[in-house]
Parts: sequence; C-alpha cells; structure tokens
Amino acid sequence: MKELEKTKRISIASVLFILVILVGLLTYKRPKNLYSLNTQNTLENIITNDYLIPLNNLAEVEHVLIDVRSQFEFEKGHLENAMNISTPDILSEENINIFNKLKNDHTTVILYGTNPDEVLAPYMLLYQLGYSNLKILMVQNSYSQNKLLTKNVDIEKPVGDVNAFINESIKKAKVKQAPKAKTPPPPKKVIPKKKKKKMPTEGGC
Amino acid sequence: MVNRKFAKVSKFRYLALATILVIISGGLVLLPKYQKHEGIKSNELLSRVISPERYISTDEVASILINQDPSYLLIDVRDQESYQKYSLPNAINIPLKNLLDENFEGYVNQDEYDVVLFSNDHFTADQAWILCNRLDYKNLRVLEGGINNWFNTIINPPKPTENMASIDFELYSTRKAASMFFGVVYPEQTIKQQAPVKKAAPKKIVVPVKKKKKMPTEGGC
Repeated sequence: MKELEKTKRISIASVLFILVILVGLLTYKRPKNLYSLNTQNTLENIITNDYLIPLNNLAEVEHVLIDVRSQFEFEKGHLENAMNISTPDILSEENINIFNKLKNDHTTVILYGTNPDEVLAPYMLLYQLGYSNLKILMVQNSYSQNKLLTKNVDIEKPVGDVNAFINESIKKAKVKQAPKAKTPPPPKKVIPKKKKKKMPTEGGC
Repeated sequence: MVNRKFAKVSKFRYLALATILVIISGGLVLLPKYQKHEGIKSNELLSRVISPERYISTDEVASILINQDPSYLLIDVRDQESYQKYSLPNAINIPLKNLLDENFEGYVNQDEYDVVLFSNDHFTADQAWILCNRLDYKNLRVLEGGINNWFNTIINPPKPTENMASIDFELYSTRKAASMFFGVVYPEQTIKQQAPVKKAAPKKIVVPVKKKKKMPTEGGC
C-alpha cells in the first residue's frame, strides 16, 4: 500500500513537470531581431573603416541607396533612386524584410543621412544584427534655395592643432607685452595744497 | 527470489537516476558561454541610440573642467598618437580598439562617475558609446562635435558680429575666459591690464573752483 502511494505521488509530479515544460515551450516566443555578432567582433570590424564609401566611388558598386533621414527631409530632397527608411523605423517588420531581401540578393546597401554621424547609429545596429552588406556614404547634405547640396566630408579629421594654436597665441601676446613694460608709471597726483590767502585788508581806517 | 533481487536494485533507483541527472547538468558548465546575443535587446538599443540625450556640449565640459568637478571622467577614444599631441586636461586614453579590454572595463563600466567620451568629431566616440550601451554600461556621455568643436568654440571662439544678440556677446566672453583658462593668451589681455591704468591717468584733478569769498569787511569807517 505504501509503495502504491509513492508511485502515485511520483506520477503526479512527473505529469506536472512535463506540463510545465510543455507550457513553457508553447508560450516561448523567439525574440525578434537577435544580434548575430557580439560586441568584440563588432568592434574588430568597425575599426577597419571598410564600411565608409566616398561619394566618388558610388558609381563603382552596384547598390541600393537608403536615406535614413525623416520622411519630411526625404521629400524635401534626396539623392537619385534613394529609398526612405528613417532611423526610428529601421527595425519594423516591413523594413527588416527589405533588409533581409537585400542581404539574400547580396546587394550592397548604402546608407546616407544629413551627415555620417547620423547614419552611424542605424548602421551599427543593423551591422550587429548581421547585415554585413551595409556601407555608409560619406556625405553631408544641406539645402541651398530648396535644392539639396551633397558634398563629401571627412570624418575624424582634426581641424587644427590646438597646441600650436595656444603657443601661437602666447607668442602673439608676448610681442605686444614688450611695450607694456615701457608704459610710464602713472603720474603722481599732485594735489595742490591750497595756500591760505591772507585776506587783503580791505578798507580800514 | 527474483522479487528480492529486484527489490535490492530498486532500492537504489532514485539515487541512480539523480546521479545521472547531476552528471548531465554538469555538462552544461562545460558548454562554451553563449555570447552572441549579449547585451540589451536591439529594440531598446535603437531607442537609446536615436535619443540625443547622450550629447554633452563643449561649454558644459569647459565648466566641468574649470570647476574641477570630481564626478566626471573624460575618456579620449582616439589613438595614442593623437592623444599625446593634444587632449583635454586630465583625460584618460582608451583607444577604440582597446575599448572592451578587461583592464579598461573598470573605467567604462561603473556607476560612480559620469563618463564623457570624445574623439576628433563624435563619430568614433559614438561608436564606443553604442557598443558600451549594448552592454548596458551606465552614465556614458559623448562630447558633441569632439575636439574639433572644442577647438572651434572654446579654444578659438568666433567673435560675434555687431548685429548679433547680446546673448552671443555674453557667450563669447565666457568662452574667451574659458580659453584663457586652457592656456590661450589674447593680445587684448595685456591691453586690458593697461586700460585701467590709462584711465587713471587722465583722472581729472578736480580743482575746486574757489568761490570768491566775499571779503569780510574789515574795519571800515
């Protein structure tokens, strides 16, 4: 009798156990947009700068242009044959499907925006998700009389030598410092002492 | 007879099953760490990345440096060569390629300091920021415009033209004062020192106009 009760308990426990696993499996949703690269691999790849493409080389590769600016900016003016996928919507199902299709076709996807800094975020994100067919177009877009102006820019190019500038400024200042020493000390204020005038005697007898 | 033997074996059946399970679970430890999906979810990373909150202006950084705020840590993510050439005062150099090295992790992954990342412009610093944010490191900021913007606004501030608002003039004078703090010397500086002296010179010596006093009549007939 004791033995029977024991097996009963075991079978109930095992049925429960299996049920829990089944429920877990059925409700498990595979998270969308999983990374396919870890940070270390990403870092190794981004320091190569292979993914930057200047405007002049654009014609050399077969590509699809994607504008990551907002729709408003895109409608104001955009590069020829560009498609608009703004950064905040980049992970929506529809857009991910587009990227998947382009990846399977082995087409190079070139992203551009107002400047390369703006494109970096969507690029890095998609790159870590495994879209390795992406490149960043190194251009800066601005408007002049409602016309889109696109020009090449360099990234991470120092504008000036700060130390040299500081030294130069010290030198310049020193040149002018010399006459400063020559400036005569301010003249002493001489407050004339008023002499008491003797009253001229007026009248009198 | 058979029954007895069976009972003997069955005595140990739970123990045997348990040991098997323990051995199998021990195998999990040997599995390589699954690092591919490390970090926060991609959707969350996207929402963090598109917010411009991470940027800190050069004026703010200048005031931090001048006030010697101890809660900030400046990290230069450029290569060593550029770091040695010029960097912000008291900055630490962690080249981007070494960002995730173990010995630098203590600088980036902590919550005591606010960390400001910077490079020549903010492209490289942004890269570092995005990677660190995927790993959910806290308190990271990016210097907007980087050293280039620093040079253009603090070290060499543009002079406002006459038709600009008074706010621009105020900004210019604070920036100029800041640049003096960081070592720039202006030719006007010397003139400025002279100015009060010059002013002192022509200080009018007020010669009191003597009022003609009415002569007290002395004597008289």
